[in-house]
Amino acid sequence: MAMRITSGMTQRNILADLNRVSERLNKTHQKISSNREITRPSDDPFNTSRAMALRTSMESTQQFQRNIEDALGWQDTAETALADIGDAIRRAHELVVEGASDSTPPDARLAIADEIDQLIESIKQNGNVTYRGRYVFSGTTTDVPPYADGDDAFHGSTAGVERQIGPGVSLEIGLLGSSFIGNGADGKALQVLRDVSTHLRSNDGAALRSDLQGLDAKTEELSGVRALNGARQNRLEAALGRLQEVEGATLQQLSNTEDVDIAKAMIDFSSQQAAYQAALKAGASIIQPSLMDFLR
Amino acid sequence: MPISSFYGLQTSLRGLLAQQRALDTTGHNIANVSTTGYSRQEAVMAASAALHIPQGGVQGGAGAHIGSGVDVLAYRRIRDNFLDLQYRAQATRLGEAIGKAEGLDRAEQALTEPGDNGINKQLSEFWSAWGALSLAPDDPAARTALLEQADALAEAFGTVDAQLELVGQQAAAEFAALTASGGEVDQIGREIAALNTTIKAFVTAGDTPNDLLDQRDLLLDKLSALGTTSIVNNADGSVDVTFGGAAAPMIDNAGYHAEPLGASPGGRLGALKDLSTVPGGLIDAYRVELGAVAGTLAAEVNAIHPGFFSVTHNPPADYGAASLAVAADSSTLLAGLGGASANERARAVSELSGKGPDSAYNAFIARLGTEVREATRQEANAGALTNAVADRRESVAGVSLDEEMGNLVRFQRAYQASSRAMSTMDEMLDVLINRTGRVGL
Repeated sequence: MAMRITSGMTQRNILADLNRVSERLNKTHQKISSNREITRPSDDPFNTSRAMALRTSMESTQQFQRNIEDALGWQDTAETALADIGDAIRRAHELVVEGASDSTPPDARLAIADEIDQLIESIKQNGNVTYRGRYVFSGTTTDVPPYADGDDAFHGSTAGVERQIGPGVSLEIGLLGSSFIGNGADGKALQVLRDVSTHLRSNDGAALRSDLQGLDAKTEELSGVRALNGARQNRLEAALGRLQEVEGATLQQLSNTEDVDIAKAMIDFSSQQAAYQAALKAGASIIQPSLMDFLR
Repeated sequence: MPISSFYGLQTSLRGLLAQQRALDTTGHNIANVSTTGYSRQEAVMAASAALHIPQGGVQGGAGAHIGSGVDVLAYRRIRDNFLDLQYRAQATRLGEAIGKAEGLDRAEQALTEPGDNGINKQLSEFWSAWGALSLAPDDPAARTALLEQADALAEAFGTVDAQLELVGQQAAAEFAALTASGGEVDQIGREIAALNTTIKAFVTAGDTPNDLLDQRDLLLDKLSALGTTSIVNNADGSVDVTFGGAAAPMIDNAGYHAEPLGASPGGRLGALKDLSTVPGGLIDAYRVELGAVAGTLAAEVNAIHPGFFSVTHNPPADYGAASLAVAADSSTLLAGLGGASANERARAVSELSGKGPDSAYNAFIARLGTEVREATRQEANAGALTNAVADRRESVAGVSLDEEMGNLVRFQRAYQASSRAMSTMDEMLDVLINRTGRVGL
């Protein structure tokens, strides 16, 4: 159908076209200046929801890393204390070797017994070591010192402290003092050393010689605990490395999802600008002429 | 039968007068080139009744009709009622699409997603705060930080819900303003009824009040953008209008009546109603869904830490998001049972990150985003269709200046030529009167 084209129609259509082109131009400009492909959910509902999920997982990945860093600090503290306890037991071993010798007179044995008592105190002190104000060998009751003056009982809890190191993965990081330092008369390091001290004071050489075997067993037990601590440390470090990689990958995905492709946006911008200028030019020259210009 | 010598003068005079009227009409068209709703007019000319000579009009004695010039029969308004019908149907759709898109756009803005102030960000920081608490369950700083973050999260839910409520209220207020006595619908209805009366009087007298008809058509266009408008044209020139799905006509022979609107009024009013209806409206549905997210959050956190959140999800009395509050305080907050560093609850809650509440909220955002996108697309579609029909209508009824300029020349020339014909006639009579029969004078 042939249409009559009126000047009002031309003008309205030119205006509508200009509006459309400049709206697109504005949208592209917004993308470039905000560096975001998505500025509101309706821009791309699927990718908005994806970007939101990625942001959430990014945040939790960072929290897991903080958890692991805390756990590593905890492990370091424990490791230092374990090393000190190991030194103390080794020193006790040397002293017992010396004290068990039949050539050692009773008063020398008394002096050795005093030093053993000091070593026991030092082991208990190491058992009370803290990380950020928390007793690391006290189980979950980290506000209670596991060892008190006057007795050898373990005052901590039986449950270990745990840290979350990944989605659905928790790791026990606390060592219970009762498992290697001792809890009263349970045959652990404290009791063995107390026995040594008693045997020295009672001048019982034969018992001292059998105590040596007990001390050897305690040294081995402690190595086992240190190996466990070291294995945990390795596991934590591996998890940390993995989380850092995951964070990098998530960041990359997030950027792919919501960041603008600058090169593409710039090309869009220039072609839209060209279209706008062309529309302006065409509009200006289509509105201008009229039959009036050609009639005398 | 003899024919009057002055017969031709009358013929030319008719021509002069008719061309003058046509020029007047052209001038009227040009003057109204920018008038909204104006339809171009045309002086309809037809040859006037011929002079009939029964016998001897031509050689051989037969009769004849001798032309007597031209008459203006009518001043016609050039307009296509069918296109009006199409245009109004599209205008109703467009009005509805615009109203819906505007409302949903405001709802979308209320969510401030994606961004650092949205619920999503607050949720992930909430999970992190639990993670931080798991590291130091008895640390007052970590406990306060968690409780503060929980407050901020509850507040974010409350704010978004209040914003959504506001969008619904604004829609309801606009609906009320449009339909109130003295509102736009009321005003347009009264004006149309008044025009009906005037037009009827002219039409009954055989007249066609073109410019009043244009005014009434323009009002009907406006009315149809507001709601479904069905129009019946009566023989007396008046129109009966039924508006907004009402049971009875708003305007009929007896004038204007304020009729209650139907269940789905269509147009902008329909969109406003869809947005603001409680329960079941669009905004209401969003608030219910957001409240359900708040409910999920509270339920899942409370399952791990009893009594952490309090919430009442019972729409429309309470949508849930608004009532979400932190019920725990620093004395009841417990990261775990059995010791200062027991943290099984804190770990379990931070495990919720990305699960139930997050995915419920993400699904909500995705649904809302899709609906806003769809509404915007519908608006663009309806706009394009309305534009196309408007073009067709303009093509028929619009004033083309080029055409009018052409007509101006045409009618001017016709006027000049009629005038020349009259001068010629005059010269002929001069010969007859002043020079004939003067032999011997």
